[in-house]
Amino acid sequence: MILPRFDVLVPESLEEALEMLGEHADKGVRILAGGTDLLVDLRRPIIPVHVPRCDGCAKHPGGMVYSTIDCELWLSEPTAHAGGSLRNALQDSRRISPQYLISLHLLRELKGIKRLDNGSLYIGATTTIREIAHSEKVRRCWTALAEGADNLGSPLVRNRGTLGGNIANARPAADMFVPTIGLNGILKLQSLGGERLLPARDFASGPGLTVIEPLEILTAVIYPAPLSYSGSSYYKLANRKALEISTVGVSVSLTLEAPDGPITDVRVALGAVGPTPILAESAKGILLGETPDEPLFKKAAQAIRKDARPIDDHRGSAWYRSNMVQLLSERLLKIAYIRAKRNK
Amino acid sequence: MKKYSILNSRVPRVDAVDKVTGKALYTDDIKMPGILIGAILHSPLAHARILNIDTSLAERLPGVKAVVTHREAGTTPYGVSPARYDETIFCHDKVRYVGDEIAAVAAIDLDTALEAVSLIKVDFEELPVVLDGRRAMEEGRPLLHDIYKNNICAEVHWHFGDIEQGKKESYIVRTDHLTSKMQDAAFLEPQSVIAEVDSHGNLTMWSSTQAPHYIQRTLAMALNIPLHKVRVIKPAVGGGFGPKASCSTAELATCLLAIKTGKPVKLTFDREQVFLHSRARHQFFHTMTTGVKKDGTLAFLDHQCILDGGAYASFGIATIYYAGSLLGGPYRLKNMKYDGYRVVTNKPACGAQRGHGAVIARALFEVQLDRIAEELGTDPIELRLKNVMEAGETTCNELFVSSFGMREALEAVRDSAAWKKKRSLSGKTRGQGRGIGAACGFFVSGAGYPIYRSRTYHCTVVTKVDDVGGGVTVSSGAADIGQGSDTVLAMITAEELGLPLDDVKVISGDSNLSVDLGAYSSRTTLMTGAACRDAARDVKRQILEAIAGVLCVPPETLDLKDGKVESLSGELDFSKIREEYLREHKGFIDLPNELCLTFREASRIAFLERGSIVGVGMYRPPPLGGSFKGATVGTSPAFGCSAQVAEVSVDLGTGEITVENITGAHDCGFAINRTQVEGQMQGSMMMGMGEALMEQIIYDKKGRIVNANLAEYKIPTAMDMPHLEAIIVESNEPHGPYGAKEVGEGAIMPVIPSILNAVYDATGVRIEELPLTPERLVAAMEEAKKKPSLQENP
Ligand SMILES: Cc1cc2nc3c(=O)[nH]c(=O)nc-3n(C[C@H](O)[C@H](O)[C@H](O)COP(=O)(O)OP(=O)(O)OC[C@H]3O[C@@H](n4cnc5c(N)ncnc54)[C@H](O)[C@@H]3O)c2cc1C
Repeated sequence: MILPRFDVLVPESLEEALEMLGEHADKGVRILAGGTDLLVDLRRPIIPVHVPRCDGCAKHPGGMVYSTIDCELWLSEPTAHAGGSLRNALQDSRRISPQYLISLHLLRELKGIKRLDNGSLYIGATTTIREIAHSEKVRRCWTALAEGADNLGSPLVRNRGTLGGNIANARPAADMFVPTIGLNGILKLQSLGGERLLPARDFASGPGLTVIEPLEILTAVIYPAPLSYSGSSYYKLANRKALEISTVGVSVSLTLEAPDGPITDVRVALGAVGPTPILAESAKGILLGETPDEPLFKKAAQAIRKDARPIDDHRGSAWYRSNMVQLLSERLLKIAYIRAKRNK
Repeated sequence: MKKYSILNSRVPRVDAVDKVTGKALYTDDIKMPGILIGAILHSPLAHARILNIDTSLAERLPGVKAVVTHREAGTTPYGVSPARYDETIFCHDKVRYVGDEIAAVAAIDLDTALEAVSLIKVDFEELPVVLDGRRAMEEGRPLLHDIYKNNICAEVHWHFGDIEQGKKESYIVRTDHLTSKMQDAAFLEPQSVIAEVDSHGNLTMWSSTQAPHYIQRTLAMALNIPLHKVRVIKPAVGGGFGPKASCSTAELATCLLAIKTGKPVKLTFDREQVFLHSRARHQFFHTMTTGVKKDGTLAFLDHQCILDGGAYASFGIATIYYAGSLLGGPYRLKNMKYDGYRVVTNKPACGAQRGHGAVIARALFEVQLDRIAEELGTDPIELRLKNVMEAGETTCNELFVSSFGMREALEAVRDSAAWKKKRSLSGKTRGQGRGIGAACGFFVSGAGYPIYRSRTYHCTVVTKVDDVGGGVTVSSGAADIGQGSDTVLAMITAEELGLPLDDVKVISGDSNLSVDLGAYSSRTTLMTGAACRDAARDVKRQILEAIAGVLCVPPETLDLKDGKVESLSGELDFSKIREEYLREHKGFIDLPNELCLTFREASRIAFLERGSIVGVGMYRPPPLGGSFKGATVGTSPAFGCSAQVAEVSVDLGTGEITVENITGAHDCGFAINRTQVEGQMQGSMMMGMGEALMEQIIYDKKGRIVNANLAEYKIPTAMDMPHLEAIIVESNEPHGPYGAKEVGEGAIMPVIPSILNAVYDATGVRIEELPLTPERLVAAMEEAKKKPSLQENP
């Protein structure tokens, strides 16, 4: 597979970047952060005629949505998404080889991790995964995100890959996106017209698809300050210990009123078990207001399992994925609980 | 053991600095003025008739210099085994797998070449596909080749001893199955080729290959060029593991494009093409029934295997034989039956890969031994020790083992891994998430016969003393593909001539230099090493004779050591030689002033006396093996053997497996370079671990590879690797140079079964399908919970 030809534009300010985006919108333009997703996606496979692996991808000479196989499976999965609209969305959302990539690497305003006055955490979109993994701040209060970062790719990929890229790429298995939903992250989207805030859970609309407007740039993610007695945890289940795409990813955050409960807030996000990361709503119904104990977590995990909508693919069967959602949810609820008790 | 000055040491490899500094040239690094870039059109369909190929648009594209199809290439059949030449350079009647090569283009750059490829229009008539190897032989399945009835490319039926007798003697008889998946060898350097024709019609091809000699022959045959007009050069190679041992369409097409254009042409595979071309490990479906007597003595083995070989024969004829023959050792087994079928399917062709043919068979047999030990209530290592062969014995299929450190290797891993202590615990903790398992292995040290029928020497080595004196140059066709054979040749020569390693230059991997069958079947150290030793000895004899003549002493009283001529009979008066040497080198600053005669002086004087001093060595194994059909495959002048203990931990919920420790011992006869022997063992452990736990080529329903990249085809990362201990066993092989034999492939044999046995110990369940993914393990554990009565007794 080789890369198609394109030019890279290097704006020096966010405003310039947004202007460039508008200027070249009709010629095919993509935003380049670390490039660890984008450049992989843009490559053309070596068998030219084998590209139209599925209808939805017919117009796209490059590997779509990670692998076109994924796409094929999702399309054949009626419950995953209304087939027709997904197909159209796929066709519209991504151009044949873009003429321009707009690189964000000079935009300092998009980098860095800081705590806002109200205690919430602000992470610029082009902050690298490595910086997040190494941040004590993140690990202390937003542990699930740090654990996502620990397990993403390899040191080389973590050095380049960014938080914004991971989220904007909207892969159902994305190791930063899933805990971001689990931690109730809020996305900051900027366009020339202004800025809007969007809960991360509302961002993805399909595998590789988001509700971002063509002229918007994701500038930051804001993670609300955790209340006392909160804890979180993320687990990535995969076949080898690095350079993996999760078979299942589970992120749990839990808040207690006091060290012994009751549970006042809980968010369970699931990765790789649906066309987008899933916020498992049923966890709340079972856990909120209850005093945590093993049978309760077991019951919650059984319910969470039903929220997952996995399919069979080459990384794992739906059967295994469902089982693992349940097993990991139960384990992670316990871990998050233990952490929550300690975090005064 | 004899004292050596350099052999058996840990000197760094001769190519190490060049490789780590990026100075070493791999084929794709080579630049030439005016070089064109080639690209191949691969079939998008797994099985189809070709109705028409229209290249006109591609030819008209500016920048395109040649487009070739079967019309230009001809349809001379070629392949690996002369009995199964079933490939042509390009497809002409049918395509038989997704990736089958239809045409090739040479253009001024890669973009143009790829665009031209996409402009070639092929009309296909799609045909039904055969993807499941187990069902390929069934009546009424679509046929891939007219010459393969029922899609059977080869079958083997062997019966040694008498298995009926064995059954009568058996106390326990059990049948087990194991299925594997097609593999990719996942070498770092994708295949790359450059070809050029000179003004005399000589074709030179640089290629990332393991076997310049075989490739030279195939090019000459398929392109119809006299053999002596074809030269194959192997630059630095980033691994091969088997798939680079046979000639590829990339090589043939690039040569053809060079001939057509009169320009040098380069073609480098993309990683996806490495997968499409494949020629790596077959998919095996093994069934074995093994019987043992009450005392644990092996009574018989009845073995059936179907090998799914993909679309063409490639190395598969050797593979099917190896899958049966190498179970003859390392245990005493009097009665063995083998029925093997190699079938063709609409998938990329499979060929040889490290541990050729024998790896999965070995895995199942070693699992069986474990299960039998459990039924007998004996320790699995003790059961093995009871049955191991000793040096001097011959297997039931007539393989003679002249040296054999099997017992020593088993005892070494048993003791080093604290087996007895850990295993006694595991009796109580079976199925609780931690496990330990053992296995053995057995492998050839060089194929006893070449792939084509011939009396040819398997290798020759020519060592020439620098005419100016001081050093020597060793020339050999041997292929250093990263395994370190150049270092072995340099060390042997340095040892024989008493020279520092830096004064030995090795040039190799060029078919113009000598015949050498190449880097496969773990042959180079034993065979080319022997030839190299003889060439050095020939040189030494000539130098010493010349010097003895000048000094008027008997040559037997002289020796070469530590860079000088040593006298075994008192002091030498070499003043004449010194004077002459100094006279010749007036004005030089670095002149010999030692109190002894240096090699530098001696070799120069020898040249003055006799002219160029050239030593020649060659190696050809004696006739080996039995007289039954297929008896040649599996023969070898020597056999390596190995033992291994693996320790694992398993998450009983998710099925995630962590290999915690691997302790391996390998009998390599004699370690020419200890670090390199360990390197081969460690590499084998890693490769075997990948095959056991994660590697598999996955096809969709249309025969397309779903994971033709190293993101989705998983090999172990550094993070997956456990602590490895590599123990060298040296049994002093009488047929190998200095007692040396193989380590390159044999060391992989015990890896998979030791892990399988350890995972059983950890979980209490057996898995009959590789790789052992967490999901398969969880499924098996669930299954076991449902019907506890069918499980083995813990
Ligand atoms: C070898 C390898 C291993 C990997 N392993 C993992 C893994 O374990 N887990 C995992 O989740 N991912 C993995 N990835 C994917 C990837 O590394 C991550 O998703 C990474 O975070 C992407 O960030 P990036 O900056 O490189 O994104 P890019 O590739 O630069 O961009 C990705 C997409 O997002 C868009 N985009 C980027 N930034 C913005 C922005 N600020 N506003 C709007 N759109 C934007 C781009 O246009 C593009 O469509 C792996 C990738 C590779 C190559």
